[in-house]
Amino acid sequence: MTMRILLTSALLALPAAAQAEGVLNLYIWSDSISPELIAKFESETGIKVNVDGFNSNEDLLTKLQAGASGYDLVTPSQHFLKIMADEGLLEDIDAHDLAAYQAVDEKWRGQWWDETNEYSIPLAFGTAGFTVNRDQYKGPVDSWAAFFEPGEDLKGKIASLSYPDEVVGAAQLYLGVPFCSEDSAEMKRVYDLLAAQKPFVAAYTSDNIENRIGGGEVAMHFWWDGNSMKTRANDGAPIEYAMPKEGLVGWLDSFVVPKGAANVENAKKFIDFMSTVENATAQYNFYGHSAPVKIDTASAKYTPENAPELFPTVKVEFSRACSPAAQDLVTKVWTQLLQ
Amino acid sequence: MNWRDFRIWGLAPAWVIMALTLVLPIGIVVLVSLSIRGAYGGFDWGLSFDSYAKILFEEDWDGNLAFTPQYLAIIGRTLWLAGLTTLICAALALPAAYVIAQAPARWKAVLVYLVTLPFWVSMIVRVYAWIIILGNDGVIEKTLRGLGLVADMDSLLFTNGAMLTGLVYSYIPLMILPVFASIEKLDPALIEASHDLYGSRWVTARRVILPLTLPGLMAGAVLVFVPCLGAVLEPILLGGGKVMLMGNLIQTQFGGGRNWPFGAAIAVTLMGLVMIFLMLNALRARREVSHA
Repeated sequence: MTMRILLTSALLALPAAAQAEGVLNLYIWSDSISPELIAKFESETGIKVNVDGFNSNEDLLTKLQAGASGYDLVTPSQHFLKIMADEGLLEDIDAHDLAAYQAVDEKWRGQWWDETNEYSIPLAFGTAGFTVNRDQYKGPVDSWAAFFEPGEDLKGKIASLSYPDEVVGAAQLYLGVPFCSEDSAEMKRVYDLLAAQKPFVAAYTSDNIENRIGGGEVAMHFWWDGNSMKTRANDGAPIEYAMPKEGLVGWLDSFVVPKGAANVENAKKFIDFMSTVENATAQYNFYGHSAPVKIDTASAKYTPENAPELFPTVKVEFSRACSPAAQDLVTKVWTQLLQ
Repeated sequence: MNWRDFRIWGLAPAWVIMALTLVLPIGIVVLVSLSIRGAYGGFDWGLSFDSYAKILFEEDWDGNLAFTPQYLAIIGRTLWLAGLTTLICAALALPAAYVIAQAPARWKAVLVYLVTLPFWVSMIVRVYAWIIILGNDGVIEKTLRGLGLVADMDSLLFTNGAMLTGLVYSYIPLMILPVFASIEKLDPALIEASHDLYGSRWVTARRVILPLTLPGLMAGAVLVFVPCLGAVLEPILLGGGKVMLMGNLIQTQFGGGRNWPFGAAIAVTLMGLVMIFLMLNALRARREVSHA
């Protein structure tokens, strides 16, 4: 604890100047919020917005745990939101009293990651699954078997992500192993599946996915619904997002305020701003992931007809916050896979 | 105030900076490695050697505590790759530095500047450049195909070779510069003397040039080997993330693994290896001085 105080006081000294009125420091998934909306917010309110991007929930959690991050608003996924709330890393902003709360779809209220809606307002949701390049692979995509137990011709033609979070979840869906299993025999099966898949994997990498799958460098890639959809719709890549019958891994990112943030009121203003129908629609059209708040369907760019990726026809299972014992098994699977 | 006192407290600013930026952070890492992990990352102060034991012994899939070679395998691979990178760098740097040292004076400055040029560009950009060079339809593949040398080739990217290439490329300037410095100091008369005494070119290179440039080579070896042990970018971007090095292992434990004490224990182990390497080097240097 002493170290946290030490670090905190050391770090607090730096952004002290930025605590003056009119600043908002965002730490969000890279390129996840429309720059036009940020510019609009700045001109409407006179608040200067600084944006930093992260590429994994783990990065975000580690940063918040290390002490004062200097950020006012961050966007973790549901399972990490739960951990942050339990660990006391979040500011209670009475989210249910915000204007934005009225815009939140009924089904995303009172969820297990924020049962009383104290901390969070959702921003976007979607699924993680796999995308195939149809020039490279003509076979069926109705099961995770295509991805985890591919045919001989796909050696070196598959790419997966560089961290275990969603990949292990997908393997668990395929094998019927529950998320966050603490049963090491079950997790051994997950390991065996991934180890058997490894000779087919060209790379475990989470960046530059558009080029790799769009250009056909690999035939299959673990990926997210909206990214796959945008690459197909906007760049005309011959790709298809699979709807495996075993299900997809669900995620939902929310706005939350880190404990001790300097500009809480500005953060709330930004949340409300992002949740008006007009702005939420613009954000949806920019980001290409489903909106958990009310949008204007008439001017929404993506519909079930032109973006089936966003409207899954199979069950979606949301990642959960695992116990240390379960997380250790996930890490063990991954470390042994890459040892 | 007298001069002798000043010699002691005059260094105080340096000591303070060393304490704050070197001793304190390392001390914190050591303490974290001995602490008790928090359930969701972070840690609680305590004294436990579990994290160090875990490097060697871990529960297997049946729940029995057993010897685990996986972390040793990662440590071994890291040492092997760092050592190989150092050797390749040395083999390439020696002739390169020699050529630079023999160049006319006005060219010398330009050549040394060119060696340091890559450092003006961010590391991640330089590594990305290799993705373009080695990738499918990359520069190398296109050239080979254009020359009709190959029809269809396996990807060069995402291989151990790609990772090694990236490491050598990233760190070779750190080898060339000290080697160049020691070759420049080499007295040409000694080479002439060797020839006068019927030393062949090979004998001259091996028994005169090499021993005299050894201090430069050793300095370069330290500068290349040590950062290689902590490499994170190359295994992910060029190696395709298929195998871990120690840097990736530490990152995994602090991030997704949510086991800070174990991550810190591996970091301390890595640091220990670096210290052993540096101490062996220092001992060798001292022996050399006493021989001379």
